Order: sequence, then C-alpha cells, then structure tokens
Amino acid sequence: MLTIKNLKASYNGLQILKDINLNLEKGQVLSVIGESGTGKTTLGRAVMGLLEGRCTGEILFKGKNLLTCPEEERRRIRGREIAMVFQNVEDGLHPLYSILYQVMEAVLIHGLTDKKAAEKRACEVLELVGLDNRRSLAYPHQLSGGEKQRALIALAVVNNPDILILDEPTASLDALTKAEIIAVLRRITREKASLVITHDISTAADLSTHMAVLYGGRIVELGATGDMLTGPRHAYTRGLLRSYPNMTTTKDLQGIPGRMSHHVEGCPFHPRCTQRIRICSAEAPLPAVEGNRLIACHRGGIVPLLEVRCSKSFGPLKVLQDVECILHEGETLALIGESGSGKTTLAKTVMGLLKADEEEIRLEGKKVTRRTIDFYKRIQMIFQNPGESISHRMNVLQTVKEPLDIHKTGNEEEKLERVRQVLNEVELPGDDAFLKKYPHHLSGGEAQRVAIARALVLNPKVLIADESTSALDASVQAKILKLMMNLQEKRGLSIMFITHDLALAKKISDRLAVLLKGRIVEEGPTSEIIYHPLHPYTRALIDYAPLLEDRSARPAGSRWARRTHSGTCGNSLQAAPRLKRPPSATSTGCPYANRCLAVKDRCLEERPELIACSPRKVACFYPPVDYKIQSN
Amino acid sequence: MQECVQTRHVPIRNKVFKKASVLNKASIINYVVALLIILTMNFFIPRLMPGDPLQAIYGNEALLVMTPELQEELTHRFSLDRPLGEQYASYLLSLCRGDLGHSYYYNAPVLKVISGFLPWTLLLTGLALVISTLVGFFLGVESGSRRGRPLDQVLLGSIMLFSGFPDFFMGIMLLLFFGVFLSLVPLSGALTPYAGHSGLMLVADLLHHLALPLAALVLVRLTATYLLTRSTMITTLGEAFILTAKAKGCPERIIRYRHAGRNTLLPVVTAAGLQFAHLVTGTLFVEIVFSYPGLGSLLYKSLLTRDYPLMAGILLVLTVVVLTINLLLDVFYSKLDPRVAKCT
Repeated sequence: MLTIKNLKASYNGLQILKDINLNLEKGQVLSVIGESGTGKTTLGRAVMGLLEGRCTGEILFKGKNLLTCPEEERRRIRGREIAMVFQNVEDGLHPLYSILYQVMEAVLIHGLTDKKAAEKRACEVLELVGLDNRRSLAYPHQLSGGEKQRALIALAVVNNPDILILDEPTASLDALTKAEIIAVLRRITREKASLVITHDISTAADLSTHMAVLYGGRIVELGATGDMLTGPRHAYTRGLLRSYPNMTTTKDLQGIPGRMSHHVEGCPFHPRCTQRIRICSAEAPLPAVEGNRLIACHRGGIVPLLEVRCSKSFGPLKVLQDVECILHEGETLALIGESGSGKTTLAKTVMGLLKADEEEIRLEGKKVTRRTIDFYKRIQMIFQNPGESISHRMNVLQTVKEPLDIHKTGNEEEKLERVRQVLNEVELPGDDAFLKKYPHHLSGGEAQRVAIARALVLNPKVLIADESTSALDASVQAKILKLMMNLQEKRGLSIMFITHDLALAKKISDRLAVLLKGRIVEEGPTSEIIYHPLHPYTRALIDYAPLLEDRSARPAGSRWARRTHSGTCGNSLQAAPRLKRPPSATSTGCPYANRCLAVKDRCLEERPELIACSPRKVACFYPPVDYKIQSN
Repeated sequence: MQECVQTRHVPIRNKVFKKASVLNKASIINYVVALLIILTMNFFIPRLMPGDPLQAIYGNEALLVMTPELQEELTHRFSLDRPLGEQYASYLLSLCRGDLGHSYYYNAPVLKVISGFLPWTLLLTGLALVISTLVGFFLGVESGSRRGRPLDQVLLGSIMLFSGFPDFFMGIMLLLFFGVFLSLVPLSGALTPYAGHSGLMLVADLLHHLALPLAALVLVRLTATYLLTRSTMITTLGEAFILTAKAKGCPERIIRYRHAGRNTLLPVVTAAGLQFAHLVTGTLFVEIVFSYPGLGSLLYKSLLTRDYPLMAGILLVLTVVVLTINLLLDVFYSKLDPRVAKCT
C-alpha cells in the first residue's frame, strides 16, 4: 500500500535519512525502532509531507508519488488517507477547543458538510478509543495524559485512514495506561497499514508484526518482530535489546559504546561497532536478505566467532560426546552443568590443552587444524584457580608481560606501557610496587584480576573463563564480572563462561548451554531457559539455584516453594532423585534417565537427540506438554 | 487570573457540564476592592494634606473669595466638623447619590459637567481600542505566519516606525498633513456647530470629525498589539497542536486563524486591558490637540482654571471607566479561554 524508495531527507544540508526502502502492506504493523536522533520521526513526517527539510526519492501511496504531489493534494490526503499521531501528548491538542470539536473538525475539513453526521462519527470514534460522551465534551486541560493520547488517536483515525503513523504512542504513559492504549491500537491497526515509531521496544513488540531498526538514517535490520526479539542479528539491534530494561531478559543491562553521529562515512554504525573491519568505514553496506531477515552489514550481522564440535573420552569414559556450540561476537555463552559433566574438558579441548578424539573448531569461520601462535592471540583462557594458575616464581609484571614476550609484540617500553594499560583496565594499580608483587602477596581478587589481565593483554576476541570466579567471595566476584561485562560492551569480547552457578549465568549470559554427562541437553537464550526450562535436568538445576528468601513463608505449591514442599508440585523435580536403574556410562538411553521422575521406557532405550524448539534446542522425548516441539 | 490558572488547574470533574458562570465571584470582588481603595485614597489625600481640607478640596483661590457663610455651609456639607469615620460615610453616600462636588467655574454639579463630555471620550477611546486591537491582531497574524517573507518585513518595518511617535505628536502630524495642507478634515470639534444635521448626515459629520483623532490613537496603539500578536503567532505556530492541525489536513487559513490565531488572541486581550489606561491618557492629549470636546479638553480647561472639584471628578470617572473596561475584558477572556472559565 505504501512503498518508500530511496528516500533521503535533509535539514540544512545535514542528511538525516539516507536511502530508506520500505514496503507496507494492509494489515501490517511495522515498528521503527532506534535511539533518538536516528531519524525515526523524520521518516514519519516525510510520509505525512510535514517535513521542514528537503526530501528526495519516492513515497508511493496507491501508485502515486507523494513527493511530487502538489501541496493542495497532499493536504487532502493528510488526515484522510494517511494520518499520524504525534509524540508529545501534552501539547498535541488545542487548549481552547473541546475534544469533540477537535475530532469533528477533522471530519468537517475533509468535505463533509453535515455537522450532525460529523458529530455522530466523532462520538463513535471517541467511544472506540475509550472516551465516553461526557469526557469528549471536556477540554484538554481536564484530561489525563492517557485520555489525551486516546483523543489524539481518535483525531487520527476518525476519517478511517489507510495508513496510520504512530509516533511514540505510549511514551510518558504509565504501564497500565500504556497497556490500555496498546489494546486500543491493536484493535485499530488491524485493518490498516501502520507505522509505529518508538524507542520503546516493548511497545513495538506488543503492537507490530514487523520491525525495522533505524540507525543513522538507514535501516540496518528488518524482519518479523518475534524473530528480531529473540535473535537480533545486527550488532546495533542486539545493543538496543541489551540496554532495554524488561521482564523477559535476565542479563544485566549493557549499553552501546560511543554516540551517534550523522557525519559518518560508510556504515553509519561502524564507529560504535565492535566487529568492524576495514570496508565498514569505506562504504555503506547494502541491505541484503539473510535468512528471514534483511540486514545491512558488511559482515552479515553478528558473526559466529567460535564454532566448536568435539568428542573426547578418557579410556572407556566418554567425557564429551559430540558437543556442539557456537559463540557469537560480543556474546556470553554460559556452559552450565554439575561437576563431572565435562565443562572443563570442553574448555581445555578448545584451547588445545587436551587432545580431542574428534574435533572441528572454527575460529572466525576458518577451520582450526593446528593451534598456532595466532590462535592464542585471538582466544585466551582464565583458569579455575587463580592462585595456582599464576606461576609462583613470576611477579605481576612478568606474568602479565609473558604473552607479549611470546608473541614478540613491540619493545620493552611498549610492553610495559601495555601491561600498565591492561592492569588499569582490570582496575589494578600499575605502579612499580604492585608490578613487583608475587602471587602470594596478592589477595584472591587481585590474583584473579592479574590472571584476567594476563588473558587480556593480547587483546583477544574470545575469553574462556572456567569457573574463574568460584573461588572468590561474592563482592569480589561481582566486581570482576562487571569488569568482564564492561569489556564485552566496550570491545565486543566474546566470553565462554563455564560455571555451575546458574544464578550467576543468568545475570551475565546471553545464551545458556546445559551440559550433562558430556552432552548438551538444552541450549538457547538464557531468559527462555531460565523461565521456561524444558529439560527435567535444567529444571532441577533451576530449582536448586540460590534464592534469597524465606521459602517456608511461601504457600505450598507455588513456584518458590518447590524445595521445601517438593512432594506437592506436579511437574517439578523432587528432592531426592530415586535411582531407577543402576547408572551406566555406556548406557544407550537418555543420560538423565536414571534420575528423571518422568522417565518412560523409551528414555531407557533410546537417546534423545538435540532438536530445535524455537528459539532453543532441547534433548528430551517428553518435554512439558504446553510446549510444541518443532520438528526440524 | 494567572494565579488562578496555576493553582487551581484541575476543575472538579462533575462541573464540566455546568455552564460556567460568565465571571467568577472572586474577580468581581477584586474589582470592588480596587474601586474602594481608589475612593478611599481620593477621600484621604485632601484631608491628609497640610492646612485646611477645604483648601485642599477647593484650592487657594476659591477659598479667598469665599464668604464665611459659604465656608460654613461647605464645611457642613463635607461633614468636616464631624469625626473622620462619619466624614468617610457621608463621602461614600454622596458618591452614591452621584454627587461629585460642585464646579465653581461652570457653576454646576461636577457630574453634570462631566456627563456632557464623557460620551465623546468614550466614543473615541472605545473605537480606538476596538479598531487598533482588531487591525493589530489581523496584521500580526498575517505577518507572523509569513515570518521573514517580504510582507512581514514591510509591515514590521513600517509599524515599528510608528511605534516611536507619542500619540499627540502623531495627532499633530496628521492634523498638519490632512487638516492644514490637504484640508480634508475639520481642524477641531466633534460636530459642525449649528449645522442641524440629523440621521445619516449626523453620523457622517461625526465620523468626519472623529477620523483624525481616531487615526492618531489607532496608529500608535496598533504597534503594541501588532508586535505582540506577531511574536505570539510565531511561538504558537511552533506548538505541537499546530502540527496536529496540519496532520488533520487543515487548510492554511484555518490553521492561521482557528488554531494559531485563537490561541494568540489570549495575550492580546490581556494586553488590551492592561494598555487601556495608557490609551485613556493618550486620548486626553489627543483631544487637546484636536480640540475634541471630551474629558481631555475638559481636564485641560479645569487645570487652567484650577477647578479642583472638576479635576478630581474627572479623574475618578476615568478610573471607573478603566476598571469597567477591564472587567468587561475579563468577561470576554473567560469566554475565550475555557481554562479560565472553569476556574471557579
């Protein structure tokens, strides 16, 4: 219904919109999200023809190019066929006329002469948005913010336009009012083509069928709303989602480094992007279809940095069985599992410290056959026990500088400078006294920071952290994790975080992989797995994760009361798993069968494969009934 | 008014549909209080002056020619031999009866003298107020919505030029040009004496005399309204509700008057009220320039003849006129702005 082609818009020579291409069909609700200043409102106004600046390109509405239309014709389209609700609820209504009059006016100026009919229509629409007759006679200063927003929506839809543009329809409304307004909008947008401009991602999620991410006047990612939210593919989209406080995701908030500027050559996002390459600053990427998405990125979106598939056995004991995982750029993947599940073995195998029976490792898309010196420049590991992993015979300077010596980077002065810099990064003093300290002079937290500094000194892209904070007390652990999260935000560090602490993983990871007896039994976005675990083993881990509350005070049967009232809960795990069959490492069945309460015969004989259950994967024959398993 | 808007911004919901009283009680009381204060000052000032209050009321010369009997009678009449409270009461009572004193120059009651001149002044100031506000508003709207374009610049430039002149100077210039050089209009008076016109002829004659003094007042008063309208227009056109109006598809003219103009009218009306007192003093000067038989000329004459009771009476009447006009504008304002109307 509405097609935008190569739309460019500029104010005083500053180009705000650069080459926008969009298509809007009836029944579609396209949300445009992005930080303020990315040109969202400009886009809306350009379609309305209310832009102060200059527009080039084409905006085709019912086959007619609006940009070349004479003003009088545009005026007739405005408000009748294309309507917009503007941001800024407070001043959007004329203070001196009643709501009813203002809505009526919108009907009357488009040719209807019968005042009675206009009033009837206005009343209907006001009723539709939830303003009864009494309220509609009021003046704007007598209405609450939510009511004003309703009135503005009524103003826009009274002529039943084909295209509705909503600019921040829920900004500055409280949560309940927002929910009501969204309900109204959902009803209204059903029959129209709508454009929702917002920085409020939850509104976009609620309202829209499709989502476009605007950055620096270009669309960087476009796709179906659900897909975009669970699997953002552009680094900017991911940054937006990470910085948006909500009740769905569990990871701590992270921002996007840097600030937006309109004077950027090449890809608009490259100054803030952590995976930029040379071409990014030279030319702007063209939007290309990648799977179910349209992405404008030279690297095709967030790149998979480390792809691992390996098996390892110690004698008859199969420690890793065909474990497969992917670590993306700037992402934290938490490997969760009880001790003995093969977490550390996996880490050591990836690092080449243990030789795998069978492995296929790709680093930045290239297959790794030999662990060369360059491999270790890109990927580093922090070990479980910092006190032990630092040589007792080396002081801080020597420890942190050693990787630089091995890689022969720069002269002594540069190395010292770099050591100081990296110590500063991990918030340790870089003075001479500290540099001369030996491990036994350091506290646990300091030693761990030195270990992290050693791992970071080569500026790796991937960090494998193996229980690296479990020896520390919680306050020191919190600081170190904050540090790692900050490094991730700043330079796109990818972290493979190996831990048995699910509560910790929940706070820092984007994705979670649950390891059981050398197999991944469940893998997917952390929040999905934490809130809706499918595998009984995952559920057990969640049930036993640390809580800070008096559980005896909770009513029996509630989600929080599982542990003390375990017998009463239907689906959840019970306190002492009974042994159904003697455990056997060579058993052909499900690795969890001997502890699972919902075990069935099939589980004992056949091993479930890891199958996709969007947006995660799970290896269980009988996940909870309310989840539909999607067959591959 | 302003305070009222700020402190009691949300009216009680169920009052929305009650027809708002034209003017709330509070503001009427305000006007009554203001009037009482003025009357009180008018009463006390002559009595607080050194010397005999009679001397202060009637002036030195009047006292010299006064016979002791007359003095006796006047003392009794102003209750000057009674306590102050009684004096005040009798002063107010005599005002209620319409007794403003006796003009010894005209040898008639002051009120009677004033009522012969007052209509002319009312005609002149009233018309000047209405015309200058309307024209200033219209020009301001047109100019403000064309900010920076040629029409705006020409209007702004020429009107700024007029704004520099005082009223009487403008009167003199007009008088010289149209009256003396071009002889288009009469040089003085309000009507051609002894012409015996009636009906339309009378109106035409009246307007003929009125044209120049009115033009002088309007031209000078216009600038304030014009500038205020223009600048308010410019601000209002940037408001969010104007964007809403544009998005509705309102034609330019409707946006200019119904949306922006209506809003701009509010400060213009307020300013008209505030400037009315200024306009009245302007009228006094202009009347003298054109020998127009209004209160200005009367005041001038009373000054020359030191007719103190007349002077005091004129000033009091003018004060009441200014207060009344302000009251009327308040009524008008509350019709314009629902936020004020509901603010009871």
